[in-house]
This record gives sequence, C-alpha cells and structure tokens, in this order.
Amino acid sequence: MPRPTLIRPTLLAVALMAIAVGMAACTSPLTTFEPASDAADRILSLYILITVAASIVGILVLGAMAYILIKFRARPGRKAQQIHGNNKLEIAWTIAPILVLVAIAIPTMVWIATSSSRAVADDAILVTATGYQWWFEFEYEGLGPDGGTLVTANELHLPVGRQVAIELRSVDVIHSFWVPALIGKTDMVPNRENRLEPFVPNEIGEFWGQCAEFCGVAHANMRFRVHVESLADFDAWVAEMNEQTRADPEPGSAEARGKRVFEVLGGCAACHTIAGTAAAGRIGPDLTLFGERTTVGAGILPATDENVRAWVSDLRSVKPGARFMPTFADTLSEAQIADVVTYLKSLRVP
Amino acid sequence: MVALANIGLIPRPVHPTGVWSWLTTVDHKRIGLLYGFTALAFSILGGIESLIIRAQLAAPNQSIVSPETYNSLFTMHGTTMVFMVVMPAGAAFFNYMVPLQIGARDVAFPRLNAFSYWVFLFGALLMNFSFFVGAFPDIGWFGYAPLTTNEYTTTGATDYWLLGLQVMGIGSLAAGFNFAVTILNLRAPGMTLMRMPLFTWMTLIVAFLLILAFPPLTIALTFLLFDRFFDMNFFNVSAGADPLLWQHLFWIFGHPEVYVLILPAMGIVSDVLPTFSRKPLFGYPMIVFAGIVIGFLGFGVWAHHMFTTGLGGWASAAFAGSTMVIAVPTGVKLFNWLGTMWGGSLRFKTPMLFAVGFIAMFLLGGLSGVMHAVVPVDTQQQDTYFIVAHFHYVLVGGSIFGLMAGLYYWWPKMTGRMLSERLGKWHFWLMFAGFNITFFPMHFLGVIGMPRRIYTYDADQGWAALNALVSAGSLVLTFSVLLLLVNLAISLRRGEKAGDNPWEAPSLEWATSSPPHHYNFAVVPTVRSRYPLWDEEANVVEPPPLPPHEEPHMPSPSYWPLMLAFSIVMLAVGLLIWQWHALIGIGFIVVMMVLGLRSIYGWVYEPPAVEAPAAVHAHT
Ligand code: HEC
Ligand SMILES: [Cu+2]
Ligand SMILES: [Cu+2]
Repeated sequence: MPRPTLIRPTLLAVALMAIAVGMAACTSPLTTFEPASDAADRILSLYILITVAASIVGILVLGAMAYILIKFRARPGRKAQQIHGNNKLEIAWTIAPILVLVAIAIPTMVWIATSSSRAVADDAILVTATGYQWWFEFEYEGLGPDGGTLVTANELHLPVGRQVAIELRSVDVIHSFWVPALIGKTDMVPNRENRLEPFVPNEIGEFWGQCAEFCGVAHANMRFRVHVESLADFDAWVAEMNEQTRADPEPGSAEARGKRVFEVLGGCAACHTIAGTAAAGRIGPDLTLFGERTTVGAGILPATDENVRAWVSDLRSVKPGARFMPTFADTLSEAQIADVVTYLKSLRVP
Repeated sequence: MVALANIGLIPRPVHPTGVWSWLTTVDHKRIGLLYGFTALAFSILGGIESLIIRAQLAAPNQSIVSPETYNSLFTMHGTTMVFMVVMPAGAAFFNYMVPLQIGARDVAFPRLNAFSYWVFLFGALLMNFSFFVGAFPDIGWFGYAPLTTNEYTTTGATDYWLLGLQVMGIGSLAAGFNFAVTILNLRAPGMTLMRMPLFTWMTLIVAFLLILAFPPLTIALTFLLFDRFFDMNFFNVSAGADPLLWQHLFWIFGHPEVYVLILPAMGIVSDVLPTFSRKPLFGYPMIVFAGIVIGFLGFGVWAHHMFTTGLGGWASAAFAGSTMVIAVPTGVKLFNWLGTMWGGSLRFKTPMLFAVGFIAMFLLGGLSGVMHAVVPVDTQQQDTYFIVAHFHYVLVGGSIFGLMAGLYYWWPKMTGRMLSERLGKWHFWLMFAGFNITFFPMHFLGVIGMPRRIYTYDADQGWAALNALVSAGSLVLTFSVLLLLVNLAISLRRGEKAGDNPWEAPSLEWATSSPPHHYNFAVVPTVRSRYPLWDEEANVVEPPPLPPHEEPHMPSPSYWPLMLAFSIVMLAVGLLIWQWHALIGIGFIVVMMVLGLRSIYGWVYEPPAVEAPAAVHAHT
C-alpha cells in the first residue's frame, strides 16, 4: 500500500507552498516580525531561534517517519521483527530532546532575568496605561502642567530613542496591552500593578496596538495606536497638550458653535476633558488635541470627519456594546453634530 | 438483611431491551455507547458553532452574527468540544474497552458508572438549555474573573455555565474513582500492571488526573457560585479581590485536563500501532513510565497559561522550565512509537492511518507548544491565533485523530460489523487535508497579530486572505466528518460481519465475541503475557456462548443512578429558580433534596433483581 505514504509528504509540501505564497501576500501592521524597539528586537531574535529549532526537529522527525512508513510497509513475504525495545536507543532519545531543550532554556532564562530586572533610566518617560471597557487611557508622569500628570487616550505619543516605562492598570475587567512592533503583551489586571519591561522605541512611525485579553462585547474593537516621533515633535505635542488657556474659536464660526455643543448643548463635557477649556469630565477618553488623532473609537476607524460624525451620532453602530456615551442622533441635529466634529478636529498642534 | 433491604422499595427494573433498558442500564458497554452517542451529538453542535464562527471571520467586517452571539459561539464551542465531545468520547472508549482489556465482567461500581454518565449528560443539557432562555454563556470557556461576576455580566448565562460545569464535574470525579478502582482491582488472573494494554494504562493515569484535577475547578466554580448567588467577594474587584485567583485555580485544573484529553488518544495509538505493525510496542515500560511522568508534571506547569499576567521573573522561569521538561516524556513516547513501526510490516488500514496522522499532527502541536514555553516568544503569541493553531493541533490533530483511530479500530468489536475501508480512507485523507488547511494558516495569522476571540477585523489589518483560506478549510473538514457519519450508518445497516478479531490484534478485548456478550467473558481468562492473543492464543480463546441458565450473574439494572443524577441537576435548577423567586426556589430545592436522599437510600438498600424463576439464589 504505497499510496498514502507518498501522498502525505506531497500534500504537506503543496500545503506549505500554498501557505508561503499566501503569507507573502499578507503583512499586517500587527506583525511580530517588524520590530521597532530594542525589546521587540530581542524577542524576535529568540522567536527566530525557536522557530528554526522547532522546524528542524519537526522536519527531521517527519522525515524519519516518512522513511519508516515507506520502508516498512507490508509487502508479500515481509515479516515484522519482534523487537521489544532497545535500552541504549531509548536513553539516547530521552537525552537528545533534553539537550535541545537546554539549548532553548538558557536564552529563555537569560531573557527572563534581564527583562525582569531591567532598570528604569533616569530620563525615561513614565506612563501609566489604564484599560477601560473598551478603550485605553495614558497618563504621563511629570509631563503635565507644573510637573503633574498629562492625560491622553487611545493614542500614545513617544519620542524615538528615549526609554519608556509603562505601568499597567485596569479599572474593570482584565485587558492586555500589546503593540507587537514595540513590546510583547502584558495583562492589565484590576487591583494589580503590572509593569512592562522598559523599552526604547528605535524607529519613527505609527504602531498598532490591540487589547489581547477577552474583555467583553467590544473586545475586538479595543485597539490603540502608538506614535513614535522625533523629540521635537513630541515636545511640541506635550507643550500644546499642556496649554492652559486655549483661545476661543472665532465667534460665529462652526468651531465656536461646536464648542457650545460640546460644553453645553450636548453635555459632552460631563464625560470628556479638553485641557485648557471648561470641559473636564473624566468618564470618557480625554479629547485634548483630538485633531491630532489618526483614529476614533479606540483605534478602530480612521479619524475622518465622516467617521467622527458617525461616532457621535450613533457610536454603537460602529462599536456595538460601547458603554456610557449616549447616542446623539436623536438629541442633536445633524448640523450640531457636524459643528462639534469640526470643533474637535480643530484641536491641533499649531 | 433481606427484610431490611426490601422495605417499601421499588422493584428493580428488568427490561432487557427498549428505552427503559438503556435508562436503567449498568452495563459498562452500554454506558460506553451512551457516552459515544452523546459525544457524537454534541460534536455536531460544537461543529455547527465553529462553522458559524468561520463564516463570520471568512471576510473582514462581516456581521453574520452580533458580537454577543459571536462571544457565545466561541464560549460554547470550546466548552462543548472539551467537556461534551472529547472527554465523553474518551470515556466512551474506556467504559467499553477497559473491562474487556483487563478481562473483567464489568467495572468495579456499575451503578456509579451509570450515575457518572447521567450526571454528565444532565449537566451538559443544563448548560445548553441556556440557549432557549436567551442566555447562552459568553464569557469564554476559561471564564476569567471578573468578567464572570455580577458586575460585568448582565444575563444569567454565566450561571448556566458554572452550574452546568459543576454538575458535569461530579460525573468526571465519580468516573475517575470508578476506573482507578476497576483497573487496580478487577484485572484477570495473571494480568499484572506491566501486562496491561497501553490504553488501559493511560486510562488509569487519566482516572487519577480526574480525581486530582477536578477539585480545584470545583473550588473555583463554588467561589464563583457564592459570588454570583450570595454576593460574596472572591472575585469582586471593587471589594479588593485579586482576579488571578481564578486563573490559578482554573489552570491547575486546566492543564491536567489537557492530558485528560490527550492521554486516552495516546493509549489508543499505542494499541493500534503494534497491531498494524505486527510487532510489539517498542519500549513498553518507557511509554508507560512517560505517561506517568506526564501525569505528575501536568500538575506543575499550569502558570504557562499565565505568562502575560505579570507573574514575575522567578515564577516565569520556573513554569517555563517545567513546561520544557514535560516535552521530554512526550518526545520519548513519540520516538517509541516510531520505534514500534521500525522493522514492522505496516498495514495501512484506516485505524493505522489515523494513528500515524496522530503522531504527525501531535508532533507539530507539541513543537508549537515548546515555542510558547519560551516566555518572551509567548508574550507575542499568547492570545493570538498561533495559540488557536497550537491547541487545535493537540486536540484535533492529536486527541480527535487518536479517537478516530480508536473508532475505526474498535467499531467492529462494538457492533460486530466492519466499517468500509474505502470510505474510511477518504475520510482520513479529507480530514487530514481539511484539518491542515484550517489550522496551519492560523500559525501565520498569529504571527501577523490576529488576536483570539475577536468577532470582527478590518481589511487594513491584513488578515483577510488567510482567514478566507481557513474558512474554506473548515468546509473540507466538515465534509470529511459527514463521510464518517455515512460510513457508520452504512456499516450498521449492511457492514461486513467482523468476527472476533478482524485485525488479528493481541489484547483481550479481541478474545470475546463481537459485540461481546453482556457478561464479556464466559470464563475469565488467565493471562500469561503482554500480548495474550499473539503469544498464547489457545489459552484465552472464548468458548461458545453459554446457555442462559449458566450465564454469570451480572449486576442488575437500576433506576437510582438516573434518579440521583436527576435530583442533582435539579438542585442546580433550583438555584436558578431561587434567583427568580426565592420561596419557590427553596421549595424546589427541598423537594429535590428529598428525592436525592431517597435515591441514595434506594441505591444503598437496593434489593437484588427479581429475576424470572431463577431468583432463588438472590436470597442466600
Ligand atoms: C456619559 C458620558 C459621555 C458623554 C456625555 C459623551 N461621551 Fe464621548 N465617550 C464616552 C466614552 C465612555 C467613550 C469611549 C467609548 C469607547 O471607546 O468604548 C467616548 C468616546 C468618544 C470619542 C472617541 C474618543 C477616542 O479616543 O477615539 C469621541 C470623539 C467622543 N466620545 C465625542 C463625544 C461628543 C462629541 C460628545 C457630546 C456630543 C460626547 N462624546 C458625549 C463617554 C461620553
Ligand atoms: Cu479586550
Ligand atoms: Cu497548559
């Protein structure tokens, strides 16, 4: 019966090739294989090591198996050899995996030791990231007005080349902070203070993050972004975030009408903060400099006017299950919603 | 004694056929079949759930189901496949085969065995009943706190989930004790431990795993029950609870559970390979020993499911180490299986194909498992589709392929009829292809960052093409399972007669008729070697069936296991009623407690069956 033994490797090879081709067509902003920080680099080198080791073992064993299946298939006249075992062989193949595993264990242990003991640099950016159902809040220690905290949400800004130390919290259920290009995930567990290994982003760019622990209805839509930028850009952003007196929009403009919707008519200010204005609510994400955002709704949609309008008028049509924020389609007119969006989008670094 | 035993008791049931005979049976073979059919039925349900999941994910931004429904689907798919398919399928085989393999007439506690089945079935039904009251569990099969607490779950779905699991757990515990005692005490003369077939050995280990692994789950579920029903604070984070308590308890159960799912399959493969290689198992003592070591180490690796929870350096290192260590006995088994085939005369009948497929697929699952023992790598893989790929290689490519090998191997023994080899081969190859097309690309999806348990994704996340491929693969996989069902149906109607030992296999279950008489062996065989039917055929060959009056006296059927199981599940229902209306609930619970106590009383003092005329000997 040679058929099955030949079909198996062929099939496997075809499948592998098809997948390799498929792979080439698929890259993702969330891939592990394009690291942009020292920590992600280190993880990737271990990742490659273990993948290569596992593939070699896999191919050797599958190869041996294919050989056995072909060589010892039943044929007229073949008699099975009545062997019960072989101590030497069995000891050998107990020791061989041990050696391979030791070879893997050593770098693993070294990584654990160094990453868990890595010191926070003096000039490190200190961030507390907090998970909410279903969005992220980021607080920078000491970067706020008068050395206080600076708060933003869903899009974290970091200067390139500077170490960042992130502490993780949750106010409700367990979430997980994960930016594959920058750092592996660590859970945000209520009543616990987890820390990420301090890492240094080494590439300017916009990196995608994602909540990686199932946290309820909108888990799939709990995403975020990390903007790694030049120190100058970062400083400009920080300075503008801290602006205590924001000039009022020109009276009569769409922005001014929008501001009124935000602070009075829509009651947005009860839940949202815009630093330097009267809006100081803390239930929803901080919207200071919302105009700098590339996304809306915890990283799920590009922050186009249209998407932000859709969000404000009925957020649950884009993010089913979202909590707290009311649907404004019924209480605000389309014009008012357009105005408030114009206002929000106008909040930019000049 | 007789007087006491008979006080006001319902006579024992005596139906040899029909519905009542199944409801009251205590015959391990019938109970095995019940487990088997139940597993099959639930596998269809779990399969449909997974197909809807794959439909939803086949393309970006689809809304075939709502996020709530999607969450229920993956929760129930996981819970169903683990607790209502793979576990009972393993139980089906160890119920049916273990007494036969050790030359016993039944298990040690036949009524307890029936009770295990009924309580399992009722727990499973209770959990699925939630669907009809619009509260299908949606918190994941792992039910992480605090998402399961009252604060974050608005429906009663979690109550059904936890009560259903709790009730099913009772069945697993009872089965664990029953089979440990059976295997240790009821072996035929000469059947020393080191002569037992490997499937029996692995069942013995599984029995101990069940006994030791279910209590932590029971405790966790009890805590949750108290939180949800009586406002306690085990997992209430607003009152300061540490939700990791749940994770530790769950995975102390959960990891050994993995071995509960895989060891029976390993046992089956270790029995199938020698039969179809025509030579003894290579390194029998090593395979047994490796199984025992896996059983022990299985309790020391749980926190590898928690590497990303902030365990700290020491705990991460310890659990990474133990997880790598457990790969060694697993590797030893694998090499010994290859050694078994080496030098053999391999016959590729369907059971053998599945056994070989098992080795290959389980190897891949094992290797990806070692990959995430490397903690830094796990921080990238944890909760992505890489993990989904990994455990489907272990649980489908591993457990289910192994169970399929068992099904094709033992079906002739259980039904007396052969399955079609042609259809069997088609089934295997389609399943093999479908399985790999479905699950291999998931490794890549994980690498490119697709998280688990998301009901939707965007085109710009770059996961669309592979997801489409995966969904297509799941159709092939489904089709292959349909072929199996056709094969089973055809075999039952007009399958070729099997004979006692169609595969020329070496172990005792093949010494009796197919299907076996209800008393298994007319004369309990004496065993002199590890492969009795190869080494000493003459000694163990079954004499012709006995005339009825000479049949061995077998345990009589009983109503009580069914009644007791029913009252236990109704206690759980009582809690649900209590939530809705305290007084009615308490009343209901009291009634069910009375019924439960009555059942225990009836069970303990059950009189012997009133057998037709020959009942006299019962009174001696
Ligand atoms: C009752 C509290 C509440 C009110 C009132 C409220 N919001 Fe929100 N808002 C939230 C919450 C909570 C979120 C986060 C929801 C999520 O992502 O799951 C949010 C999110 C947002 C976002 C997306 C933020 C981001 O980071 O992408 C915008 C924009 C927004 N709200 C605008 C408004 C506007 C405009 C109004 C008034 C018309 C308003 N909100 C009123 C609670 C509120
Ligand atoms: Cu989440
Ligand atoms: Cu585990």
